[in-house]
Parts: sequence; structure tokens; C-alpha cells
Amino acid sequence: MSYIAPKDYAADPEIVAKILRTVSGQLELDWMKRVGEPAAFRPSQPSRGLTLDDINQGGYGPDKLPEVIRHNFSMAPRGALLPPGLPSLGYRVNRKSDVWADVAPQLFEEAKSRRWAPARDVPWAALDTPSHDANREAALRQLATGLISIGLVSCDVAASWEWRMNQEFHEIKYLLCAQMFDAARISEAFRKRALYGGGSLGVDSRALGELLKSIFLSETYPEASASMNLMLFSWVQALGRHWAASASNPADSYLGAQLAQDATRFVTYGVGHVRNHLAARPVQLERIADHLEQCENALVGTLGAPEMVEPLVFLSGGFEPVAAFYARTADEYFRRCAAAGLGDRRDASPLSPFLRMLQGDAR
Amino acid sequence: MAVRFPSLDFFKALQQRTLDDKARFEKLGYCDTTFGVRIGPELYAIAFEVYECTGVRLASDMGELDFVLEAPPALWREMVASILANKGADAAHSLNTLSHVGDRMKLVSTDAEGNDKFYRFMASLQEFFDQAHHLEVTL
Repeated sequence: MSYIAPKDYAADPEIVAKILRTVSGQLELDWMKRVGEPAAFRPSQPSRGLTLDDINQGGYGPDKLPEVIRHNFSMAPRGALLPPGLPSLGYRVNRKSDVWADVAPQLFEEAKSRRWAPARDVPWAALDTPSHDANREAALRQLATGLISIGLVSCDVAASWEWRMNQEFHEIKYLLCAQMFDAARISEAFRKRALYGGGSLGVDSRALGELLKSIFLSETYPEASASMNLMLFSWVQALGRHWAASASNPADSYLGAQLAQDATRFVTYGVGHVRNHLAARPVQLERIADHLEQCENALVGTLGAPEMVEPLVFLSGGFEPVAAFYARTADEYFRRCAAAGLGDRRDASPLSPFLRMLQGDAR
Repeated sequence: MAVRFPSLDFFKALQQRTLDDKARFEKLGYCDTTFGVRIGPELYAIAFEVYECTGVRLASDMGELDFVLEAPPALWREMVASILANKGADAAHSLNTLSHVGDRMKLVSTDAEGNDKFYRFMASLQEFFDQAHHLEVTL
């Protein structure tokens, strides 16, 4: 059932009387007498404009936020004066270290500044003469099909946590909205890539579905962030680089490079967030590591699935370069895990025996 | 006036290009990194802030850089030659391709986040090098 406000405002005599006094010119002006902390914020760098970091000072900044928010569960923005009786919006994510990364405000600004529009920025006409054969084109469309799913589910993951976060963490909520837009654009751009000029979508992958479900159904936000931002997008970033490096035309070069760039913002937030989370609550290490192990298991299924590995073989000119690509991507991912405070995951991760098996086969 | 590659003057000329072609760099968005380019024994430090290159200098300490792109002089020359010939690097000679396929160009960093700044700002960094086609370069 929809929420019902506790008063019938249209019929409340006190409220009606107040409105009538206002209409007759008797203004109370209480709101004008009680204002928040005065501020005089300006852009620190005029060419960058006025950023969130510029205005995040004093009581308006996040530095003085307590680890657990208990003073505000309403829609009131951080730094506003809180009258009594504000309704609770029922936020469930109220611990700063469960969401925060110092780099988040910067990444939000960066996401907008480095925006691009697939409709016009991709030189689509270059695909009229793509300079590659039909098998390679089919491989690209198959990989694009997977990227569409990844983009859509990543939207869902960010959306499913954004509304549960306390309003005091607005920078993180903004960033999650930017992530939704970035993820939607991945889905949009690669759907257009697959369908351009007589194209078609490829085959959906059950293994990829299992991976995305493992991330989507994460029990906590830190688990969702570790598995999506840190793990999944490490591989999306690498796929973007591989797509661009294998490109035989300017459209694919552009798409791959943009995918890598956009994915890296997810990764950067993931590293900062997990590190901050574990620094504040080291007891969570085992839980995050265990969740990553489960998701890495699903990732092995995806990386080994014919819908993923076979198109990569066509794109890379053989199996050996794919094994090298996987090994290099895993190495970068493990470095990020270490930077995030997860220690050396090489021994614990199901990725390691999978990669050893591939490298044996590649030789 | 011709500039020699590699040289500090070459990178200073590219720095000036980020002002001369300001609109192109603004379109690509914020770019905040100080990175290195190692060509043979020389290490050049290149600083980007907001949209523009704010400084280039010879460096000795890699620790102050987010990441370093390392390649033999011959490969760097090949990349610049491709930029001059095609008005921008072709797909085989982009920073991404050279550093991704076969490890011809090495991406070196002391920390994972510094490393990721290469990927975060890749289009701006590629554009920085691609601006060489506006210069008269002696290879």
C-alpha cells in the first residue's frame, strides 16, 4: 500500500488558518530567521567550475559525518536545519564506511565532464566498410550482446542500492546515478554496435547470467560494490581495451576506448570504497573475500563460456593471445584487490587455477 | 620551427597545443594526472590538470608519477611517424594498442590507482600525442 501522510492537510484547521494568514499578508518568516551555516564557496579552479569538493566544507562537507548516521533518516539534505517531525524515509544503508570513498565526488564530476553520446560521437559510418571479415563481425556482435547485459544489470545494481542509502551520503548517491547513466550508455552503445547496418544480436550466455545474478543479489552494499565495481568492471575495462586494440576501423577504436575509460571510473570507486570499508571495519575482510570468491567462480564460468572465449579467439587471432589477455587482466585485478586492502588474492581465487589451465593449453 | 623527437622541446610544443586546441581537450573532459614517458634513458614528466597540460620536465623519480609509459626509442619514433602520416595514431599505434598487445610499450606504476589513471584519461592522453601532427617534427 502506498504511504499515507499522517494529516489531512486540506482539512486541518491549524494549517488552513496559517495559509489564510499568509494570504492576508501576515508572513511568519521563521525559515528566514533560521538559516544553515553561512558559506562563501567559490571554484578553486575557475576552468573546472564549482565542484562538489569546492562546496564540501564545514558542516556541509562529509568529514564531520559520524560513522553511523542516527540523526537524520529523512529527505533533508546534509547541512540543512532539521525541524522536528521529519518523516523517516527508511534508509537501510546508514554507515559511512559502507559507502564512502574520498574519490567519489571527483569521479562524479569526471563522469559528467568526460561524457559522450553514442548517437553522434561514434563514427558509425566507418562500419559500412569495417575492414574485417564476417567471422570477426559475428564475434564483435556476440561480445556486444554480452556487454548489453552487463550494462543493464549494472544499472540495476546501482539502482537497487541508491534508494536505500542515507541522504547524508549524497555524493555517493549522485555517483550511483552517474554509474546508472554510464552503464545505460554501455548498453545503448553496444546495442547500436550489434545492430548497425544489417547486424543482429548474438546468443545470450547462461554463464554470464549467473555471474551478473551473483553480483545483483549481493547481500550488502560493500559486497555489491566489491563484486561489481572492483571485479566485474576490471574485466569490462580490459574488454574495452581489447576491443579497441583489435579494432580495424575508427568506430570500434572509439567504442573500445570509451568503454575502457568509463569502466575505470567504476573500478576506481570500487578500490577506494573497499579500502575505506576495510580500514574502518577490518572484521568485514572475510565476508568480502568470501563473496568475491563466489563471484570469481561465476566469472570463471563466463570467461570459459564459448559465447565469450570463442569470439575473443576470432578477435585476437588465436587462443594464445586470449590466454595472455586473461592473465594480464587477472594480474591487474589482483593488484587492485591488494590496493583495496584485500591482500594477495591469487592463492584464494578460483581464477588462478583456471588461468594456469589456460596457459598450459595455450602452450 | 622544427622540433626534434624525442626532446623536451617536443613535449613543450605539445603542451602549447593543449592551449591552441583548447576546445578539443575540453570536449574530452577533465584530465588530472602527472605521468611519465620513458624514451631510452630519458624520463619526461607530463602534468595535466583540468583540461590542459600544465607542465613538462625531465624527471628522475618515478615515485612522483601516476604511471610511466616505457618503450624503446624506435617504437616511440614509429608511433610518432604514424601520427604524422595519418594525422593521429592509427589503430596499431595508439597508446592503448601498443601497451595492450604484446607488451611492446610497458605501463609501469607503483600503485594500482596510479596505473588506472592511464585508462581513465586515455582519450585525452592519446589526443595529446596526436597533436604532434600539427608540428614539424624531426625524427
